[in-house]
This record gives sequence, structure tokens and C-alpha cells, in this order.
Amino acid sequence: MKAVERITGKFNTSENIVTHELKCGKISGALIVHPDLSDAAVARAAIFALENCAQKLSSLDDFVRYALLEYDIKISADVDDCVNKLLNGDMLLCAENDDRYAVINARSYTTRSIIEPPTETVMRGPREGFIEDLKTNLSLLERRLKTPDLSIERMEIGRRTKTNIALCYLGSVAQPSVVKKIKQRLSKIDIDGVVDSHYLVPYIEEKPQSLFTQTGISEKPDVVAAKVLEGRVAIIVDGSPMVVTAPFLLLEEFQSGEDYYQRSAYSTFVRILRYLGLILATLLPGLYVALQNFHYTLIPVRFMITLMTAIKGLPLSPLSETLLVLLLFEIIREASVRMPRAVGMAMSIVGALVLGETAVNAGLISSPAVMVTALSSIALFTVPNFIGPMSVLRILYTLVGGLCGFFGLILAVLFTLHYICSLNAYDTPYLAPLAPLVYDDFKDAIERGPLPDMKKRPKSIPNINGTRQV
Amino acid sequence: MNQSDTAAKEESVGKNESAMDVGDTNTNMTKQSTGRQLVAIVFLLALATKMFLLPIFLIQTPGRDAYIAMSVFGAFDLLLLVMILIAIKISRSDFFELLSSVIGKVGSKIAVSLVALFLLFKLNICVAEILTFYGTNVFTDFDTSLMIVVLLAFFTAVGTHTLRSLCRLNEILAPILVVCLAVLTVIVIMTAVDLANIFPAVRNGEKFVSGTFHHAAWTGDFTPLVLFIGRTKTKKHTGIYAAASGLIGTATAVFFAIVLSAAFGNVTMLVDSTTNLSSILQYTSGNVYGRLDMFSSILWSISVFMEASLFFYAVCRCITYVIGVNKHFAVSLGVCVAVYVVQVFAFLDLMRFSIIVSSYACSVIVPTAAFAISAAPLVCALINNGKQRRKSTEAKGDAH
Repeated sequence: MKAVERITGKFNTSENIVTHELKCGKISGALIVHPDLSDAAVARAAIFALENCAQKLSSLDDFVRYALLEYDIKISADVDDCVNKLLNGDMLLCAENDDRYAVINARSYTTRSIIEPPTETVMRGPREGFIEDLKTNLSLLERRLKTPDLSIERMEIGRRTKTNIALCYLGSVAQPSVVKKIKQRLSKIDIDGVVDSHYLVPYIEEKPQSLFTQTGISEKPDVVAAKVLEGRVAIIVDGSPMVVTAPFLLLEEFQSGEDYYQRSAYSTFVRILRYLGLILATLLPGLYVALQNFHYTLIPVRFMITLMTAIKGLPLSPLSETLLVLLLFEIIREASVRMPRAVGMAMSIVGALVLGETAVNAGLISSPAVMVTALSSIALFTVPNFIGPMSVLRILYTLVGGLCGFFGLILAVLFTLHYICSLNAYDTPYLAPLAPLVYDDFKDAIERGPLPDMKKRPKSIPNINGTRQV
Repeated sequence: MNQSDTAAKEESVGKNESAMDVGDTNTNMTKQSTGRQLVAIVFLLALATKMFLLPIFLIQTPGRDAYIAMSVFGAFDLLLLVMILIAIKISRSDFFELLSSVIGKVGSKIAVSLVALFLLFKLNICVAEILTFYGTNVFTDFDTSLMIVVLLAFFTAVGTHTLRSLCRLNEILAPILVVCLAVLTVIVIMTAVDLANIFPAVRNGEKFVSGTFHHAAWTGDFTPLVLFIGRTKTKKHTGIYAAASGLIGTATAVFFAIVLSAAFGNVTMLVDSTTNLSSILQYTSGNVYGRLDMFSSILWSISVFMEASLFFYAVCRCITYVIGVNKHFAVSLGVCVAVYVVQVFAFLDLMRFSIIVSSYACSVIVPTAAFAISAAPLVCALINNGKQRRKSTEAKGDAH
């Protein structure tokens, strides 16, 4: 049958698809199925339904009109589109002497169950997380945003992967210019494949080469729903549990979904701790080295004596010693993320005891350097999404602090801040509401104000409806 | 920027403004600084370099009348500030457009070249102060020719980005600087200096006039604000807040000058040209807490970094206007080379720096140029507004 050949001819290995030839009354037809992606029960039921109504059928339209009434069917004459649908798990039904195909929804593939995402665990609050299935992810979001105002625009990206992508936003809240810009950027993407949402990130960021991420990433539907409610756009990618949100503010890195499920005073305290964690994580090793190398007069005398005793006789300079410990930590961290869980305990022992304590006892590194690095590294984890930039920055600051003292350290921090201040994405200043100052947004910046007080949506995020509650 | 665009944007800023309306988007139309940012910058410029080495230089010459000299400089600078703020308020064209509309394109390019020279000189004074502070007070061994490279790298970043980024940076640093200032104020008050030591005032009038005159190069700190003309989103009271901010900043600088005058005005041999507040052991909080005063002073030095970067930015933009090519990185590099040459070959020797800065020529040219730079945009804006009024009157007459 020509219609079948047109489809099978598109495949390098025709064994990938299965064709069932049918004889229904006066007309011959064929059902083309991708056995790995389609539900075999749907195919069986369709064949059974067709055979039951065989006498009434004389064309492809009759198939749809009489036999397959309860099925989700679309008629298409575009072979490429039909092949694409087939690869997405749909079945194709074709009839003799007809160029068209009936595309029957028979998608069925195994997905994992909805579990608590390992990257965003909470003590209180919803524990559902996105999974790799777009349909499930959309349903998770739609269950939280039960409004006809929720716009879901679908597109396909990737020449070979044809990945389904859904753009979700609230039509009466999100700034149309922002939505338009995001859509434009997505539609311009021309790559082989999108295997995860992170593939899209560089295409929708203003400065993809930057150290700082300019899009939000979340695995939790409650977090994404809250962001969409503030006027952001969520991009859900089939095959990825990570949902991308834009526009994005740096301060979002310091906010957690759990902040809104706890007492506001405690959440504010926790947020301040995170900011403190950022300062400690990035600047502590640099300050330690700068103080030792150049500014020892600034250290209180008693502390100075303790420090002198600890570093006496060390073969390495303060800078090389601290850099060495920092690098060791980064290596141990990277190894512990990649290695099998079974050897995790052994790794911790080797890292903490063998490398740490033994090196101090052997006089290779000093205990203050280990302590400073440990403190800085623990502080690093107070802002989990910001670990990458903070790790790079602290090594740079340590280097600058060791070579140029406070002079270089201050300039390096100014340099970084100035760079961050220059970042904008989708009409949103990256450092808002701190720079530029947007006082109204302070209720949810460093402070986490009580929810009844947050009557307005953040001005830092462009939106067309500023009122959240009356 | 298109004038009508600016006007339209200003009208749209209202109750439901968002952050982009408050002054920040990546679109060309809103690449402006905000009123708040202007107020913060004015505060910083009012006291950054005036609290750094100038009080000590003044104590060495007019002696215990240093605070009066500081007040004179402050008053003069405030006058210049008011002129610039009025120009910001009444003009919708930027500084370069204003000059070009009144004295023509060629004339404006010549004028802007002279402004760039002045700003470059002021930039070098700021940089020399920073290097002197770090070289003598913070480091025991400070290689100026190497360390200045780090500073210039930061300047290059400033030169290649927008004024808006610099304003945002200043906005975020302002609270830290105010805290440092507060700590320094507490430390100074805790030392219980007898403020009566500043009297009797102006005992030796000739010495006072001469000493004040020879430090006139420290005036004109507000001159880079001319770049804010036509590029600031002002509201009704922005000018008043900015002027008040300048006044408070100047008063703070005078307060610190009074304290230093009271402490050392009668024993000027105790201070040398490298001493400033942080290196005077009298102000230490004791070894138990470490040198909090020094730490605050080091953090406070950020304000001078910011002032210097604003001067650097202004120089770069003036040069860009004169050459007519928007190659910001190349221009920034060129200015960096100029600063490096001046600092390493002319100002490295502190004595030579003092001689140049306190020379008769500098003492006359700097305040005159500062006055001219601050007055020029105001005069041009008034002329432009007059022209526009005449045009609209004529148009109305024709219509009738």
C-alpha cells in the first residue's frame, strides 16, 4: 500500500514500526504503530472496532465517523507531520487510494512516579515534584492554577528530538512583551536536540556566557505556580523534571519554597542567614589570606598569637595553603556527587580524616586553614542553587586577596557587583529590588513579610496586573 | 535619547510603576539613572575625597583653621551642585546635546575636550589619594606600579558599561558606606577630643588664605554629575533631596575636619602628609577588637573608589563624544594608559604630587574650570528653553 510505504520509507530501519493490514468491508487499510511508544491495547481495540463496523466502512472518513468514535483522532495529509506523530507514540490509520492518515492518540510510555524532588526537599509544604513527562507536569501545574487565564502554548524544538515544550503564563498578569520575547527566542532555536530544559537556558538568557544564571530552575510545582502568579513565564520541557522560569532575579536564589510555609519572622531570619552564608562562603578564605599576608595588624593580638602558633613551621605560604585546601575540597565534593552511594561513607572518611586531619598532623597544612575552608564550604550550601558561582568566586577572591590584600579584594568584589548590576533580563534588573531600590518589593526580598501584607505583585518582575489581593 | 520618548516615559511613571519604570531596563529608552541613585551619588561625592587626605593636608597649612577651609570648599562645591541640579531639573537634553545646541558641534567638541582634561586631572587626584592611602596606611610594602593595574582593570569594566550600572553599584554600596561612616563617627566621638582646641579661629589670616587657596584643586567634586543631565528620571523633589544629601555629606566632612583640627591643629608636626584618620593610633579601639577603625576606613575607601570610577566614566564618555565613535573598551584602555603614566611617572613621588596639586596654576585653574563646567549646562539649558519658548510663542502667533 502506497500510504504505508510513504511512512516506512522515512525510516532507516523499518523494523522499528509495525504495520497491521486490514480488510474492512469494501476497503483495505493499514494501522501503523510504533510498538515501543504506543499502547498495544489501543491498537488492539481499534482493530476490533474497525472489524465490528466493517460493513459500513468505505473510506478513511468512515473509519473515523463510525468505527473510532471514542478515539482522539486527527486527519492529516502531511507525511512528515504523521511520522513525527508516530514517533511521539500516536498510531496512523490509512486507507487504500487515500493520501491522508488518521492520527490516533495511543501514546503510552513508562514514567516514574511523582516523588519529592531531591534538590528541593522541604520540612513543611508540598512534596510533589515534576517528573520527565510533560503531560504529568502540566497537570501538576494546572491543578494549582485552576484558572482559564492560564495560557499554555506548545511548541516543538529540536530538529531530531522534536521535543515538546510548553510555555505557561497567566495571560492577564504576565507582561506581553516578555512573553513575546521569550517565544521569539525559543522559536529561533535551531539545534539537533533538546534532551533537557537546561539546553534551552543559554538561548533565553541575555548573557549566556555569564557566570551567573539568569533563569530560575525548579522541580516543584508549588514553586513554579507561585512564580507564574507573580508574572513570570514557566517553560516545561518534555523529558525534564526541571522547569525553567523567566524573568529571574538574583534574590530568587536566596528564597526557598519553604519560606512561605513557615512563620514570617523565622523565614526572615533564615534568609538573613543565607546572605551571611554567601558572604562567608565567598569572602572568608580571601579575607583570611589577605589578613595573614598583608594586614596582620588588623587581627586582635590574642587571636594573632593563636594563629602564629598554628601556622609555625608550615612549608606553604598562606595563599598556596588555602588554595590547596579549597581545591581539595572541590575535588572531594565533585567526587562525592559522582561516585556510587555505596562508597559514600568511605569517601567521607578519606576526605575528612585522611586528607584533613592527617595533613594537619603532618604539618602540611594548618588547622585554621582547614577550619576556614570548612566554614566557608558549609556556608556554600546555604544557597544550593548558587554553589557554582560561589565556588568560582571564592577561589578568585582567595587568589586576589593573597596577591593584592584588601586593595585587590575590595576591587574584585566591586568588579563582581558592578558586573551583576549591569545584568538585565527581559526588562528586569538582575539585582532588583536592591539595585535599583524598589521599596515595595522589600516585603519579599531580605525580609519575608506576612502574606496578607503582600497585596501587590513584585514590581521588579514586569507585569500588567500589579494587584495580588485586595 | 529621543526627547519625546523621555517625556512619554516620564509621564508613564506613576502609581503602578515597575522596576523598569523606576529606571531600569535593557531598552535604550530607559537607560537612565533614578532620582534615588542621584541622591546617593551626591552624598558620596560630597565627602569621599574630602574625608580622605584633604583634612591632613589642610592641617599642615592653615593649621587649626582647616575645618574653615573645608567649609569654604564645601560651600563652593554646594554652589556648583545647585547649578548642576537645576540643569538636571530643567533640561531634557543631555550634557553634550546641550553644548552642541548652543555653541555648535565643533565648539562643543572643543569644550568637551577641555572638560575631559579637567576630569582626567581630578581622576588622577582621586587615584593618587587611593594609592597613597593604601601605600602608607594599609600596606607595609605596596608596589604602586603593579597594584594600580588591578584598579585600572576595575575602571575598564566601569568604562565599558553604562552609567546606570555604576549608579546601581553605588546604590547598593551606599548603606555599607553609611555604616562605616557611623562606626568612624562613634570611634571619633569616643576619643573625647576637646573641640575647644579649634579656637581662636583665623588668627593668622594670611596663612589661612594661602593654605586654603593652595588646596583649591580639591574643589569640583560634583562636576561628573553633568553626565546625569537629561539622563536622570527626576521626580518633584529629587533636586531638593539631592541638595540636602550634598549638604549632609559636606557637613559630615566638615565635622571630621573639626575633630582632626581639634586633635592636631595646634601640633601640626604630629601629622605628616600620609596620615589620615585611620592611621592615628589615638582612634584604635584597642587590641581586643582589632583595628576596627582601620577596617572601617578601608571599607570607607570604597567611596573614593566609586568617586574615581565616576570620574573615569565621565572622562571616557567625554572622549567618546569628541572622537564620535562608540568604542568604549578602546577608549577605556586609552584612559587607563593615561592614568597609569601619570600615576607611575608623575605622581608616584608624593612630594611631586603635592607640589603639582598645590601649585598656583592648579589652585586657579581647578576651581575656575569646575565653576565653568557646572555653569555651562545651566546657561545652555536656559538658552535652549528660551529658544523653545520663543518658538512656541511664534507658532501660536502664526496659528492665530
